Amino acid sequence: MNETHKPALRLAVDTGGTFTDLIVGAPDGSIEIYKASTTAHDPAEGVLNALKVAADAHGESLRSLLGRSEMMIHGTTHAINAIVTGRTAKTAFLTTEGHPDTLVFREGGRQDAFNFTIPYPEPFVPKALTFEVPERVLRDGSVHKALDEATVVDVLSRLKALEVEAVGVCLFWSIVCADHEVAIGRLIEEHLPGVPYTLSHRINPSIREYRRAMSTCLDAALKPVMGAYMSGLESRLADSGFKGRLLVVTSQGGVMDAGDTAAAPVHLINSGPSMAPVGAQAYAGAAADTLIVGDTGGTTFDISVVRAGRIPRTRETWLGRPLSSHMTGMPSADTRSIGAGGGSIAWVDSGGLHHAGPQSAGAMPGPAAYGQGGTRPTVTDASIVLGYIDADFFLGGRMHLDAEAARAAVSRDVAEPLSMSVEDAAAAIVGLATENMVQAIMAITVNQGIDPADAAYVAGGGAAGINCVAIGRRLGCRTVLVPETGAVLAAAGALVSDLVAHHQAMFYTDSRSFDRDGANAVLEKLEGQCRAFAESTGIDPSRVEIDWVTEARYPDQAWEIEVPLRASRFRSDEDVAALVEDFHKTHQEIFAVSDPGSAIETVGWIATVRCKIGASKPGRIHADIPAAEAIAKRPVYFPGIGWTDAAIHRFEALAEADAITGPAIVESAFTSVVIDPGVTARRDAMGTLVADLGTNRQGVSL
Amino acid sequence: MTSGVRMAVLTARFEGIAHKMANTLHRTGRSGILTIARDFSCVILTAKHELLTASDSLPIHVLRGPEIMCRTMTENHPKLKRGDAFLHNSPYHGCTHPADHSILVPVIDDDGVHRFTVLAKGHQADCGNSLPTTYMGSAKDVYEEGALIFPAVKIQSDYEHNMDIVRMCRMRIRVPDQWWGDYLATLGAARVGEREILALGREIGWDTLEAYAHDWFDYSEERMMEVIRAMPGGTLSRSSRHDPFPGTPDDGVEIKVKVDVRPGDAMIEVDLRDNPDCMENGINLSEGCAHSAPMVGIFNSIDHTVPKNEGSFRRIKVHLRDNCCVGRPRHPTSCSVATTNLADRVSNPVQCAIADLADGLGMAETGAVIPPSSGVISGIHDGEPFVNEVYLGCTGGAGTPTTDGWLTILHVGNAGMCFQDSMEIDELRHPILVHSRRLMPDTEGAGRLRGALGAYSEFSPLGCEMTVAYVSDGNQNPASGARGGLSGGPSSQFRKTPDGTLEPVPGCAEVVIGPDEAMVSISCGGGGYGPPVERDPERVAHDVREGWVSRERAETVYAVSLDDALQLDTEHTALLRKARIAEG
Repeated sequence: MNETHKPALRLAVDTGGTFTDLIVGAPDGSIEIYKASTTAHDPAEGVLNALKVAADAHGESLRSLLGRSEMMIHGTTHAINAIVTGRTAKTAFLTTEGHPDTLVFREGGRQDAFNFTIPYPEPFVPKALTFEVPERVLRDGSVHKALDEATVVDVLSRLKALEVEAVGVCLFWSIVCADHEVAIGRLIEEHLPGVPYTLSHRINPSIREYRRAMSTCLDAALKPVMGAYMSGLESRLADSGFKGRLLVVTSQGGVMDAGDTAAAPVHLINSGPSMAPVGAQAYAGAAADTLIVGDTGGTTFDISVVRAGRIPRTRETWLGRPLSSHMTGMPSADTRSIGAGGGSIAWVDSGGLHHAGPQSAGAMPGPAAYGQGGTRPTVTDASIVLGYIDADFFLGGRMHLDAEAARAAVSRDVAEPLSMSVEDAAAAIVGLATENMVQAIMAITVNQGIDPADAAYVAGGGAAGINCVAIGRRLGCRTVLVPETGAVLAAAGALVSDLVAHHQAMFYTDSRSFDRDGANAVLEKLEGQCRAFAESTGIDPSRVEIDWVTEARYPDQAWEIEVPLRASRFRSDEDVAALVEDFHKTHQEIFAVSDPGSAIETVGWIATVRCKIGASKPGRIHADIPAAEAIAKRPVYFPGIGWTDAAIHRFEALAEADAITGPAIVESAFTSVVIDPGVTARRDAMGTLVADLGTNRQGVSL
Repeated sequence: MTSGVRMAVLTARFEGIAHKMANTLHRTGRSGILTIARDFSCVILTAKHELLTASDSLPIHVLRGPEIMCRTMTENHPKLKRGDAFLHNSPYHGCTHPADHSILVPVIDDDGVHRFTVLAKGHQADCGNSLPTTYMGSAKDVYEEGALIFPAVKIQSDYEHNMDIVRMCRMRIRVPDQWWGDYLATLGAARVGEREILALGREIGWDTLEAYAHDWFDYSEERMMEVIRAMPGGTLSRSSRHDPFPGTPDDGVEIKVKVDVRPGDAMIEVDLRDNPDCMENGINLSEGCAHSAPMVGIFNSIDHTVPKNEGSFRRIKVHLRDNCCVGRPRHPTSCSVATTNLADRVSNPVQCAIADLADGLGMAETGAVIPPSSGVISGIHDGEPFVNEVYLGCTGGAGTPTTDGWLTILHVGNAGMCFQDSMEIDELRHPILVHSRRLMPDTEGAGRLRGALGAYSEFSPLGCEMTVAYVSDGNQNPASGARGGLSGGPSSQFRKTPDGTLEPVPGCAEVVIGPDEAMVSISCGGGGYGPPVERDPERVAHDVREGWVSRERAETVYAVSLDDALQLDTEHTALLRKARIAEG
């Protein structure tokens, strides 16, 4: 190793619930994958452990490896974990007089009309730490009641006595006149020096007081814990020899400098899952510009999409179950998660109806086949019964599975109650898990107006291969893609992600009397903010791009949709007409209806600045498996066909030219991909396994 | 016989279709009541008019009634063609009330056979009543009410609008553009449902789907039978009284329900016949609501995983009487307010009666509505008319055997499915200023599991006058508790004059508020379930710390003692509770 050459490795580290995934990218375009256990009490330790595994594999010290690294991109579930486990700061909420219960009312709504077993959620900040501030601004920005600063000072002295650790300030209409929030910020610095605080108009300048207040309080509550985490990780990496740049993945699927995220940690709530569609997009390339991405772990199935080359965003991200918990209020890559995966438990109810999940055996006790005390049949157990998973080659042979226990559990809990064969019962379990996943996918594709027939399904996660072809068929997709880094898809996304900042502003105008000058002034201001951000990163301006989007609606509609702008300014009435046309088209795409005769209203403006820092492709894994070992056969069960001898291929050993036809299984140390009878598959130039469903996508066997 | 596996898969697919319909309506509607409050429902029925799935719907909208609406469609239009769509809001033909404009689309297969019907129903901001409100509590009859009534009228043929009907609506409805947008959204939802079911039928086969529906109903009936067999039997009578309104007796309307739970033959019967005749006001129930309301009470009281469809409904028998205010109304009786006031006075005593059967069953009463904070506001601002129903704070959830009242339940037939408005969005869309929306301490119906607190709302027009139309029950008859639980706080409403005086205004009224005045609305709390002295003392302490319950009330009502730091005084609490139990 030449000690003097320039540091050039790129590291992508994704801390998940169970594993911390690491991808090491070398300058020659080759990549390596490593995993270590996530250490929940101190996630930074898991990050360092994964790095040590990589250093050991290279036969070098951690210091040497880190010394050769120019950049580390980190996805972390630390923020969401802190929220879910209640380890955030003791936070006070200051808001407009008369409206102390904004966080309690939420926006109403309920998931199931007849289910009274789910309790109403407690407010994120207790009422006891909520304080009303005498002031009021109106919708036009005029001051209806001036801020009573003396009362604010009095409140702040009470916060001191209560030993409050952070403060969130969200006042009505601060998005059109921020003076009162700014004044309170000044008073906090004066009277509670050192206590972190967040002002709503800065962190989330968007209308709807509940969502803005949630973003504000979450941000404030996360500041101490995420500040400590980021500075701790930075200093431990530096102590171990890392001199490069530490970047963190944001909820919107970009990255920010670690120091910046510590100052606005609410951006990190969806860090991690937001990178799966970025990774999928890098692999799919030009092959498909609309993707449905499923990331199957042991207990959860995370879904995201890429629509017409863009990763759609949502402002409705829930901290727990939709409608039964709270929203973050922040824009985020539109990802959904359901309790489904290899660990989902199958059962039959008293009326003879079959269920798969939502209960999960999790990692402990795990499926019956794990032999760790689990006795109920799971999707993994069913996959073993069907021959989809080789009990002797699980995790590359590192874990031996008890096939008999799996069979016994499926037989007792499903086959016998339904009077069917063990194989059919196992196929039914996998089929039902597939349907649950498909319905969850539909929830997001429906919302985003995606027709799955125009999309490719990208399968990520260790448990993805069991039914990814079945999911693709059921959705009606043409192709299913399993990237070679599929098991660490989010980390792969991090490796190719851009440095991104979003700047947004509210400005209302109407296509009937479009205020071009007003809109252009807003756009100019946003562009200034974007340029300032780009300069601060020190990136070559040729690698900087700005995306423009407006949030628009038909008059009287309550919900806006995002419409990309064709240019950064409105130079003529034709430009306005083009926007209106694009709006109708987008509305038609998403909702299958449009009202071409109607005017449109534009409400929000968003500029996204992207600075390219990495490669556009993740690179290739170096394979060292001799091709000769690849082919074997074993009996595999398919519903409607029965037991059949399927070819077993090693994923790594498949060459680009090798076309395989199902029934077949493609196995690697990370996953086992089932190729249904009649489906053909081959690897593409990036190493992705591409299953061509052709005309085989209709009529799933029930 | 459809296998348990296929049944699960097809159920998920039909629910997915209903969800897709609902999403379309929610995202594309124009009025706040659809797009913010989500006051709409989307359901699928078989060609034999059997309710198949009603997920994503408001219970009072859909449990019963849709089957009558569909039957009306086929009886009036024996030859259905693909491309047809029907507008239906007639309370005399199955619809809830005239404000709920519904679109029915028959799903016709490629051979011209009617296979399913999809129904999308949305509450209108205005339906052309003689006054600017969709809740005409004082209307003597349908003529005084004034809405255009559509008993399954064909509004599309070959996917083309019948513009005559559209023009009639535009001439009668106060906000025609908003109505047109809402109509398109509702129609769009039904068409999305039609498209999806056609695709499903082509993929799976129509006979298979028909067999599935048959077996799904049998399964659902089986689940319902199992649940009823596990209940203790008994015949229970219970009543609930609606406040006096125009056209009611002076002491209001007492609604009596007789609930007969028979585990032996796995049936629940509810008899509503011993109740007053239809009244000369707008609170009479439509047949759909009279049938759905007791079923809301029943399904609130049992295992929530029993599917709600034609199959489980076979185990429920509801007895109605012609020309009864909670039965089958005769034209021209007005049913303007059929979904809420008297309907709640049916659902609530049913769930309380079931609670009387055994601890762990039923629920307390949910708060009554519709307070001014959820009323219809209207006026003219800068020459432009505005009219819409707002949701500025209404709570009322009842205590249950397992949870405290769900705060934003709104009312029992709604089940909290509607959303609450963003105050900023309301101020943006209407010329109003919302001074306050807050919960009121000590208004919960105390209990082992307590009811929700009532809400206080205060709002004014900005730069114009504003009419607030509402029908606020619960001023005199708050939500009762069950099994020893206490009543929730009552509702009330006031005009706040410029000098700050609160002048009481009637419970059923259209009140004009001037620009220097304010409307003050107080909504009902929910009833409690079980004796308050059995409430977990830690939960009482939490309520006190949060300011929901005062320290005095904790001691007098819950027999829970707290120290000055608001920490639980376990010893003193034990003594208080012992003494309370000794007192009986």
